[in-house]
Amino acid sequence: MSDYTQKIRETAKKLLSEGKVDAVIGYREGTLPLMAEPCLVKDPEKVDQLVFNSFCGVNLANYLPKRKDRVAVVAKGCDSRNIALHIVENQVDRERLFVIGAPCTRMVDRRKVAAAVGGREISGVSEQDGKLTVSGPGYEQTVDKKDVLQDNCSICIHRNPVLADEMLGEKLPEQEADRYADVREVEAMSPEERFAHFKDLFSECIRCYACRNACPLCYCPTCFVDESKPQWVGKSIDPTDTMTFHFLRAFHCAGRCTDCGACERACPVGIKVRQLTRKLEKDCLGLFDWEAGMNPDVRPPLDTWRPEDPEEFIK
Amino acid sequence: MGVEPGRLHFSWISSAESTKFVDVATKVIEEVRALGPAGQLAKTKAQVA
Amino acid sequence: MRFLKIAKDDWTRGVEDLKKSFRVFGPVKEKEAYDFRLLDKGVLPDFSFQNTRLSPKSTVYPQSEILFEYTLDESKADHHVHKVPEKDYSPRVILGIRPCDAKAFELVRLNFDTPEYKDPYWLSAYEATTKVGLACDDPCSTCFCTSAGSGPYDEAGLDVLLADRDDHFLAKVLTEKGEAFVSAAGWNTEAPDAEAGFEKLAAEAEGKVPGGVPTDKLADKETVALHGADFWEDVAFSCINCGTCTYLCPTCWCFDIQDEVKGAEGVRMRNWDSCMFPLFTLHGSGHNPRATKVDRVRQRFMHKLKYFVDRYGRGIQCVGCGRCVSSCPVNIDIRRVARLMNEFEPAPEKCPA
Ligand code: SF4
Ligand code: SF4
Ligand code: SF4
Ligand code: SF4
Repeated sequence: MSDYTQKIRETAKKLLSEGKVDAVIGYREGTLPLMAEPCLVKDPEKVDQLVFNSFCGVNLANYLPKRKDRVAVVAKGCDSRNIALHIVENQVDRERLFVIGAPCTRMVDRRKVAAAVGGREISGVSEQDGKLTVSGPGYEQTVDKKDVLQDNCSICIHRNPVLADEMLGEKLPEQEADRYADVREVEAMSPEERFAHFKDLFSECIRCYACRNACPLCYCPTCFVDESKPQWVGKSIDPTDTMTFHFLRAFHCAGRCTDCGACERACPVGIKVRQLTRKLEKDCLGLFDWEAGMNPDVRPPLDTWRPEDPEEFIK
Repeated sequence: MGVEPGRLHFSWISSAESTKFVDVATKVIEEVRALGPAGQLAKTKAQVA
Repeated sequence: MRFLKIAKDDWTRGVEDLKKSFRVFGPVKEKEAYDFRLLDKGVLPDFSFQNTRLSPKSTVYPQSEILFEYTLDESKADHHVHKVPEKDYSPRVILGIRPCDAKAFELVRLNFDTPEYKDPYWLSAYEATTKVGLACDDPCSTCFCTSAGSGPYDEAGLDVLLADRDDHFLAKVLTEKGEAFVSAAGWNTEAPDAEAGFEKLAAEAEGKVPGGVPTDKLADKETVALHGADFWEDVAFSCINCGTCTYLCPTCWCFDIQDEVKGAEGVRMRNWDSCMFPLFTLHGSGHNPRATKVDRVRQRFMHKLKYFVDRYGRGIQCVGCGRCVSSCPVNIDIRRVARLMNEFEPAPEKCPA
């Protein structure tokens, strides 16, 4: 059992039995290898289902808006930034929230593991010293965890929570990473190539909205794609409508996306939706020196004005 | 996104600059007209089964 | 019913011959996953798949389909007339469909082909379709077809069932459509003594399917008590109400109807819909009878595992393909929920003091 798991259980038990919170939001063991399921624990006797491992890729900040009770939540680096954004955007009340911060050990992409073992059935996984031992009918194979990380985790530069009421461990060293190599490639394309690129990128989208629904930023009571009076976007899988959904959703995340990867992780057909949000992230960084969710007390660039804001994009 | 160059314009016009607004709007209309109808992200009939 | 032997040497020729009289759909690998696609000339179905990521239901029931077109322009002669666009209902074959997915068509049919209503779009496509199954000798760990009234050699809904035997396929021809299929492909090597071997293969494969998803007591449960069971909140907590589970499911059939109009020209189309979306039950008045996530998650499982069972008496509305299990982003697992429901006992009523 990982240290984090042990500490989460202890903290949860303490908070619940002392009546400091009404519930704890964490992860429990999944029914499938390489998965963990978000869960809500109210009973101090039931904290033993809580775990923390390399498969906790779901962003728990997504479960906070509209809650009326006092909750504790387990938060990785990116989750904590989304919590900070929720605070800035008045979606959660800091007073009623207890953040259990997890300096993040980086999350594993289950599809990459499946590919690494050649698509064979996986019936069990164990983790030790940066290696995953994957087993299935008639085989056992060890893979380096760093080769099967979620795309966003492999370029993450903020693994330590930005806010926490209790930390599960010491801060971990941050890495240097080139975050925008693929974005630059798209930028270098001609407009026609770029359009063709995005058309292909979204060609398999089934508009299940798992990407949107997994995202903590997408808490609008009615999403623009679901509006009917007026109806902004068609609902079929017509390519223009599908792309319109993706482009507009990305713009709604401008200056807010923390690159937690929850959207991409959720997509059943493996679409790299973060390409759009990371372009906006790159622009926000370049134009406004802004990274989303780093501080719950600072207003974001799209609702403030500073004398030094550049205006080159405006004629 | 690959929207054709020239189809999207940004401008900063104060509420006091009504003539600038007219000028910019006229110019944008002319330029976009010259480009012809949009070929991308323009839907006439849904392309579905 | 009869057995044929199809030598793999003769496979390519046969498939190409088929394409002369059928539109052939088969599994192909695109980017990272397998899906059913219309096979162009020279393209063979790729049978190295376990199962496809999306179910083959869209070959008969497209995610978005235009029902009819119309014009409101009174200067046109055919204004205000429903015009059904030309559709290709020529014979088609789904080559390599898994038995669970074929059985799913029989369940979906209960909705689209009833004594009162016959859905012309679904039925025309369905009737044009020949389903050639590929038996599963190597089921996935998320499969539970044998618990769901199907199996790796289940013949329900199939016209031909193929078993892959190294250098040949054994074909069990089940229907008239199946006969037309093998004759179009020119496969006619009889294998009269194949039956016993075939049954043995079926039994072996069935043994490999993970079991243990009990559904036997669902019919006896009291609906209201089950609806009020205390586990729903816990089951539903992690759900993000996306459409993944229902869109991937071969047995989910719900759709929404939309008009899309440009100027005076319009189309009426239907799109898959999902009980997991809040919009699914939103009334024009603004009232939503399934207003919370718990309501929606409960609906999905109650429909599949209880209402359907009671309404049709044909088991559950699930064939155990496991797609929703493996693709749910938060790991909500119908096998676990089926167990909870099957084992549910209402709390004994307390005597009023
Ligand atoms: S858009 Fe994707 S990466 Fe960005 S915050 Fe939302 S889920 Fe996370
Ligand atoms: S999760 Fe994937 S398939 Fe679903 S709407 Fe988003 S991009 Fe499309
Ligand atoms: S059960 Fe899973 S796949 Fe289905 S709506 Fe909920 S989160 Fe999405
Ligand atoms: S409910 Fe899940 S397992 Fe059952 S048929 Fe549908 S997708 Fe497959």
